[in-house]
Amino acid sequence: MAANEWGFASELEEVSGAIAIVGIGDADYTKASGRTTQAIAAQAAERALADARLTPSDIDGLMYIPFSGDQLDLAAYRAHFGTAQEMWVSDKGGGMVWAGSAPYEAALAIRSGRATYVLNTFAVAWATQRPQMVGGPGQVHADDLYKQNLEVPFGWFPQPVYFATIARRHMFQFGTTPAQLGAIAVACRRHATLHPSAIMRHKPLTLDDYLSSPLIADPFRKEDCCLISDGGAAYIMTSLERARDLPGPIIEVLGVGVGNSTTGAYWSQQGAFTSTPQVFAAPGAFAMAGITPDDVDVLTCYDPFTIVSLMQIEDMGFCPKGEAGRFVEGDTLHFDSGKLPYNTHGGMLSHAYVLGIAHVIETVRQLRHTAAAQVKDARIGIYGGYTGPQASTLILARR
Amino acid sequence: MHSDFPLPDVDWSPTREFWAGAARGQLLITRCDLCGRYVWYPHPPCRHCGGTRLSWARVSGRGTLFSWCVLHHAWIPQFAERLPFVSGLVALEEDPAVRVVSRIVDCPIESLRCEMPLRVVFRSLRYPGVTGEVIAPLFVPAEK
Repeated sequence: MAANEWGFASELEEVSGAIAIVGIGDADYTKASGRTTQAIAAQAAERALADARLTPSDIDGLMYIPFSGDQLDLAAYRAHFGTAQEMWVSDKGGGMVWAGSAPYEAALAIRSGRATYVLNTFAVAWATQRPQMVGGPGQVHADDLYKQNLEVPFGWFPQPVYFATIARRHMFQFGTTPAQLGAIAVACRRHATLHPSAIMRHKPLTLDDYLSSPLIADPFRKEDCCLISDGGAAYIMTSLERARDLPGPIIEVLGVGVGNSTTGAYWSQQGAFTSTPQVFAAPGAFAMAGITPDDVDVLTCYDPFTIVSLMQIEDMGFCPKGEAGRFVEGDTLHFDSGKLPYNTHGGMLSHAYVLGIAHVIETVRQLRHTAAAQVKDARIGIYGGYTGPQASTLILARR
Repeated sequence: MHSDFPLPDVDWSPTREFWAGAARGQLLITRCDLCGRYVWYPHPPCRHCGGTRLSWARVSGRGTLFSWCVLHHAWIPQFAERLPFVSGLVALEEDPAVRVVSRIVDCPIESLRCEMPLRVVFRSLRYPGVTGEVIAPLFVPAEK
């Protein structure tokens, strides 16, 4: 199937250099903690405000996504911080694909004067919710009646099974091997062992460990699959002019791209089974930023499974399609390789499963030169967001 | 969620014909009334022409193995006694873009290959602790 038959790029206005990310905050990343989604998001927001040296009443733009529990919406923000100012509010924020595309929406709002300082937050309490069998990553799929009646009866459920099936097809098409998927898991785990807030920081993983780990959804081992976590993060955006008045180096938004699949929401029927909509998102972002993949110092991607990392790396153009398996072998993805440092906090496989928002925080830290596994002289960093039928590419640069 | 989950709700109207066909030993897939192409899953509009009406049509039940997963873990507890089992996607001979989710049976796991020919069989699906059973289309290796 030709590329243009299964998806398209969203048409975006030029926003390169319009805004900067001036505050970042992590909530505590944990296993089951008993916290609520809103409490986690509010903690991340407090820390982002402190990082930017702003007060709660300075924020006049709020972004979140109505998803999985109560996020930090306008009422929750006012209740938590005791503020009453008018706020521009957008529900096109949060994590996943939107952690990468929220800066585009924010740039439009800031440029048109609808907001000055925009806060984007996202949190999940899935580790806490899992024993109650409510919420959690499988819930939305189990609730879909087409899946209930055409997939679940045959055991094709939930996401580890979908993506193991995709990985098998990628292996058939391109010769990708389990050890190549393992190289991704090993790089992410090494980064997590260096990161003070990574959930897997005390659990090193070698390629031999990976290969001797039992198969759970063949060809996947548990190390191919993301964690289940409580946690969240927040970041604050403003115009480049205002960013100059705030402390620290300026981390500007250099380019944004959004790609869409037209072949539906069901993985079983995806036309391009072994590609992601990064095929459509990345070229626009690179064009807007005026750079090429060779210019990138650090990459973070939404990584629910090793295969999703592998596909996005090739779909974004870091290597030809089908060659990512060989590309990621060895130390390519390690922070100190000088090649393509990748998910330098550990990603969703080994840092925490907070659906991409922590990836943006890590990318900013790398460009500020304050990361735990710091890439030397990092100047350009990218977050690749993914949500099945959509993908986003966010290009950030240290000015 | 219906009470006999993970069995299908054979009365849910969008997929009722699929399961009724299986009970008669027929594999039924929807086609667009306007352009005649197969459309799967069975909900309009047609992804090819935008047509708004679909009708059920019997297909040969021949296809190839597009890809698969061997489950060694029971994410749905009712599947625990079936482990390990093979769940995968079958590309239909009539239109390989239509991929039917099914279980691949009567085939050693080490013999599975992408693109291997398969044919449909109709077997009873039953799960421990779940009331009832449903006749379902499963796939087995076929001669070339």
